[in-house]
Amino acid sequence: MNLVIRAVLYTGRKWKKTLLLFCLLLTITTLVLSGLAIADAQEKQTEEVRGTTGASFTVERDLSTGGWTSGYSTQRFMTEDMIQKIAATDGIAGYDATLITLPRFFNSKREPLVIETNFSCYCYGSYNSQYHELFLSGRFELVEGTHITDDLTNGAIISRQLADQNGLKIGDTVTGIYYPENNTPAVDMEIIGIFDIVADKGDQINMYDDASYYDYSNYIFCSMKASEDMLKGWGEDSDGISEAYFYVTDAAQLDNVIRKVQGISSIEWDNFKITANNEVYQNISGALTDTSSLITTLIALITAVSMVLIILILSMSIRGRKHEIGILLAVGIAKPAVIFQYALETFLIAIVAFPLAYLASQQAAGTLGTLLGKTVENVIVTSQHFTLVAVAGSILLAAAVLVSCIPIMRLKPKTILSQME
Amino acid sequence: MNIMEIQNVQYAYDGKKKVLKGVNAQMEQGRMYAILGPSGCGKTTLLSLLGGLDSPTSGQILYQGEDIAKTGLADHRRSHVAFIFQSYNLIDYLTPIENVALTSKLPPLPILEQLGLTAEEAKRNVLKLSGGQQQRVAIARALASDAQVILADEPTGNLDEDTAAEITAILKDSAHKSGKCVVIVTHSNELAKEADVVFRLRKGDLQILDTSE
Repeated sequence: MNLVIRAVLYTGRKWKKTLLLFCLLLTITTLVLSGLAIADAQEKQTEEVRGTTGASFTVERDLSTGGWTSGYSTQRFMTEDMIQKIAATDGIAGYDATLITLPRFFNSKREPLVIETNFSCYCYGSYNSQYHELFLSGRFELVEGTHITDDLTNGAIISRQLADQNGLKIGDTVTGIYYPENNTPAVDMEIIGIFDIVADKGDQINMYDDASYYDYSNYIFCSMKASEDMLKGWGEDSDGISEAYFYVTDAAQLDNVIRKVQGISSIEWDNFKITANNEVYQNISGALTDTSSLITTLIALITAVSMVLIILILSMSIRGRKHEIGILLAVGIAKPAVIFQYALETFLIAIVAFPLAYLASQQAAGTLGTLLGKTVENVIVTSQHFTLVAVAGSILLAAAVLVSCIPIMRLKPKTILSQME
Repeated sequence: MNIMEIQNVQYAYDGKKKVLKGVNAQMEQGRMYAILGPSGCGKTTLLSLLGGLDSPTSGQILYQGEDIAKTGLADHRRSHVAFIFQSYNLIDYLTPIENVALTSKLPPLPILEQLGLTAEEAKRNVLKLSGGQQQRVAIARALASDAQVILADEPTGNLDEDTAAEITAILKDSAHKSGKCVVIVTHSNELAKEADVVFRLRKGDLQILDTSE
């Protein structure tokens, strides 16, 4: 009779012991799988936070080091070359800079656009409007077309109200003139996007920009090139890019990215300063780190306690089988074969317990996750979790059987049998 | 021809208390040997050494002229010897058929039936059998193996007189009809009388008391 048959017979006939180990393995595996799913949900949440809290840094003119003329700073403006060099640094997800102008806009028939309240539009020259604070904060939402990107020269995004009031749509052309009375250049722009104003119109704080009294519906985003072209012959000396915003891919790496940027030697850093904007991330990451530590500790604790419990139960079980070990050795069965039989018995139980724990953990993980502030949808036990637990669990079980067998396997068969006599 | 030989074997518990002091003996196939002696004289120890359950402190145990310590004790237990214990030593989660199948590749039922168990009894849990039936299963396990040497430690110690006589007869047949070498450790003079050769173990020395030839 080979050891596989003996293992199967033992598992089936000693069903109370089998049931005890099965329940233990089922419970432990369910808890560990749930813990892993919660840890993964936590990790995803952390990654999302790191990627989406909008950690950024601002590069702006340092007015304290520049001179002053008639109340205006003579500090130099940022150049496109400088911005591109910073944007090319590793770890930067996107950037934008704004050049604010207050031009008047005309339709293709050169009729002034009908606008609410104000006389002109509030126009942001932009490299990548998706990174503009108004879009990132959710106050504006692009609902048609595309954002302005740094490869566009004459694109514009207007509000839905402005589009409706003037019968404008994607693909139409509008013309911006900074100072029509002074014959500044007329710059044609193609409407490439339309945004909705999400902010509460009744909320004065949200509805109006701190720096202007322009209605949100009169905001226009245009390509930086178009904005610069409108200023030609009038304001290029006194107006330029004062600041640019750079968003990092990983908020945790913000300081490293800033250090790299400060190392760009071709930029005269005496004239510019960098400010990190990661308060939101710092606040959230503290709480996330605490939760991650708690979950990791729980998983480690569950695994350690489980291992101790399993070793204790297996040790007691194997000690109870001392007589059997003596008999098996007396009839010439080798010690490794006896150990292998016991390991196989444990695996036979695990083969049933592990898949059932996988099913049970699908429910348990969500329930346990909600206790730790996770949404049920985000806590998912995957097949990777199962594979990890099955492989690691099998190795730990084999180790537990081995450890449990050591005290008895050190004895000679005669000693075992004479002790039983 | 000697199948087993004990050469100047000494054995001491924990290296101190010497129970065997240079034992020598030869055993042949087809004969039944009995070893008598008072309790604690080392009879069971000697049987364990013959069966490779333990190693002598010094000296050699030879099987067909080869030192079993060199050929491997586990291999010796698996291939050359079979044990019958006073307390039967059956595996409690196996049936008699399965216990016999531990050492035998042949169908176990015929030999169990030959030893007086019914087919129904052969499929029961061994713990539900009487002492005599359990000892028959233990004997069947020994006889069904390929082992040429049967080592029995007080095989009738727990049995009533009639059953003891039956078991003795079976062991005797194993030696005389099946050609096995049967070595029995016993307190029983009745059993010893049936042996072809009787040894007495006393003060660590093994002496032949009687031989039927």
